[in-house]
Amino acid sequence: MSFARPARCLICRFSRAAPTTGPRVPRRQFHLTPTQLDKKDYTLHEISRSMKPEDFKSYTEKEKARLKQQYTPEQLAAIEAGEAAIDPKDLADQFAIRQDPMKLQYLDDFSTIEPGVDKHIRAPESNSDYNATLKTEEDFIDDFARFFAEMPEDATISDWVRFAESTRMTQGKEENELNPNSSLVPDLFQPGETLEGRTSEPPKYFDDGESKARKDMEPDEALKTLMKVTGYSAQEVMRLKARTLVSHAVVNQTRLGKVRSAYVLAVAGNGDGLMGIGEGKSQEAGDARIQATYRAIRNMQPIPRYENRTIFGDVRGKSGAVELKLMSRPPGFGLRCQSLIFEMCRAAGIDDLAARVERSRNPMNTVKAAYQAIMSQRNPEDVARARGKKLVDVRKVYYSGRSDARRF
Amino acid sequence: MSLVNLSHVCSHLNNATKARLGFTSIPNSNLHLKLCLALQNDGFISSVVRGGPTPPAMHSLLGYPTTNDETQGLEPMTQTNVASRRLWLGLKYWQSQPVLSKISMVSKPTRRITIDVAGLSEVIRGDRSSYVEGLRSPGESLYLSTDHGIMEARECVEKKIGGLVLCRVL
Repeated sequence: MSFARPARCLICRFSRAAPTTGPRVPRRQFHLTPTQLDKKDYTLHEISRSMKPEDFKSYTEKEKARLKQQYTPEQLAAIEAGEAAIDPKDLADQFAIRQDPMKLQYLDDFSTIEPGVDKHIRAPESNSDYNATLKTEEDFIDDFARFFAEMPEDATISDWVRFAESTRMTQGKEENELNPNSSLVPDLFQPGETLEGRTSEPPKYFDDGESKARKDMEPDEALKTLMKVTGYSAQEVMRLKARTLVSHAVVNQTRLGKVRSAYVLAVAGNGDGLMGIGEGKSQEAGDARIQATYRAIRNMQPIPRYENRTIFGDVRGKSGAVELKLMSRPPGFGLRCQSLIFEMCRAAGIDDLAARVERSRNPMNTVKAAYQAIMSQRNPEDVARARGKKLVDVRKVYYSGRSDARRF
Repeated sequence: MSLVNLSHVCSHLNNATKARLGFTSIPNSNLHLKLCLALQNDGFISSVVRGGPTPPAMHSLLGYPTTNDETQGLEPMTQTNVASRRLWLGLKYWQSQPVLSKISMVSKPTRRITIDVAGLSEVIRGDRSSYVEGLRSPGESLYLSTDHGIMEARECVEKKIGGLVLCRVL
């Protein structure tokens, strides 16, 4: 910024009545950024054409020898004829390696269709045949009869395969069956194509963890018992949200000495209104964890939820010296509570909640108190029934009486 | 208008519902009667009958005393028996839980709390207003003594009147 001259009045710019005596100062003097002297907008006609006819030379003997390895003599003759047909002057005129700012950042020959980048190739609409029908059993019998009638004397299995593959399933236009017109976007990868290249592996589709469950099938005794008791399949058990919340070592003092074992408190839920907690204790920490998780799954109970997102009113829970308060909150509030209650809410499918843990904050008792609080919610329907009132959910009536309450 | 007696009534009702009593009595006064009628109107208690030191006779069909019982009849209140009158309340239970599970005073005998319509509309929406906590649990009610009698907070907001906050019922 130049301070050589005093700042000029903004309005002075519009009244150019009195000619200034001093040297003209550029208008941009109030600006901090320097002026761009070479500010140029490139247009299509200004793309540099720096190629010369001399740049396009015919093939040398060495190059021809290398081409001979790749192409047949006929192909080579065609290439040479093509090269000879184009004047190098025209090439230099029309071909350019662009250097301008708008140039493409890659070199591409554009000869292949890139799915996802290029326009999709679709079969023409004329391939459609709206009157096409599936062949009836009689039609297939006719096809078989024709095949047997025209079967050569020394028929092999390949004749049968060819017939089976080429027999059509519909009557009507042939293109309609083989290459139908579709408005669906084609897949990014054709069968057998991957990012790395072509593979012979079958394509992988999302299978919702079933293959994983199948891999380590052979459920152990505990899981088998759980499946028998709850009626869940192994996949359904895997899909449940289970979390270990508390785990520590406990000691039983006997006359023989201290017997150590692991204690685990776990929560399980389906993330949509079912939640339970379970405790496990065993010599091994892993056993205790499995025990706790499976007990939590067995203990899963429906959780009352308001609008499937928060709790009904404020509730209090108490376990030991832990006293806590769970508070319902408006949509979009989120789970503003401590980690243990957060995990329980995640498992139960509660999205909006605030919590306050008062007095002690022992983790085990916090979980138990939170569970007690969640289960002690008062159902407005019951409250209304008890008082002899009738409860009308105005919001359900507003949405044409539709209820989106899910069944457990 | 003694809030001391009203506090005693609240404590007594809490004790009675915890003991799962079906029937109890409170001292007779106009304030207690109006509040009990408001509670009965909202379904917290089943019956309110003014009787003597002994409970009034039950209605032969309903199983609780009523004021308009023609067969049994009620002893009319006179100048001679007014001091011995008591209010007999029928308590309600639903699924082994008391319908009136908790009743607590908001105003205290030594500190009366009044609230205006603006504050009251915040309270019924679940927000705190000065000394009055919001009504945040399903079915929670707040009773006020107003110029137009004893009313529930929501009714007060409908009628745009404020008043003295008496008690909170859950």
